[in-house]
Amino acid sequence: MIGNDIVDLAIAAVESNWKRKGYLEKIFTMTERFLITSAKDAEQMVWLLWTMKESVYKAATDKSKIRTFAPCTLNCSNLILHPGSATGTIVYEEQLYYSQSILTPTYIHTIAAAKLAILNQAKLTIDDYNESDSSYRSTNPASVSHHGQYLAMIYL
Amino acid sequence: MDREQLVAKLKEIVSPYTHDKEALENIGPSTDFIKDLKINSANLVDVILDVEEEFDIEIDNMEMGRMLNVSDTIDIIEAKLPQL
Repeated sequence: MIGNDIVDLAIAAVESNWKRKGYLEKIFTMTERFLITSAKDAEQMVWLLWTMKESVYKAATDKSKIRTFAPCTLNCSNLILHPGSATGTIVYEEQLYYSQSILTPTYIHTIAAAKLAILNQAKLTIDDYNESDSSYRSTNPASVSHHGQYLAMIYL
Repeated sequence: MDREQLVAKLKEIVSPYTHDKEALENIGPSTDFIKDLKINSANLVDVILDVEEEFDIEIDNMEMGRMLNVSDTIDIIEAKLPQL
């Protein structure tokens, strides 16, 4: 129904080399790769598009439990960049999803849902992630994402 | 190369991306890259690229979609290796 994804940019810079030969081709469609190569900040665009895909994937798979890793089957479009935020749409398995993203120098966060009304009512919290503390689970979040130092949760 | 050797090669490949070293030591056919080894999904792409380089094969997007655990990955690699 709703999904969210966060990328800690400091961790991503260490753990993922998106400039590696063949890397972008495995994840992004030609249209998306054009957005990356023509972006002012290519690294930001890589992780923005990535969080859009991941959040849609999470929104789609809490219904069906089928697991697959096929990022090229999620198509991002209608991307509009604002200072510090972005909106877009993603098509996955013939379903349209809407996304809202936060862009900061240290992280990128995206929420996606098939219904704009759900996206608009979602409440987001971003905290420090503590591996040994799982008490957040009892707060009943609709979607959880953690990466590096960040823990992001959506409540409906 | 038999399946045991393929698993050993795959273990080397996934090692730098694995966040659960204990699960890596106990790697077997049912080991899941994300749930067991805690490989983050952005690094799954690195695993696929490393597999392509190591075995000199090409993996298409459909096949990549299925490469989430050891046995499915070995099946895909085996099917592409030249028959002896």
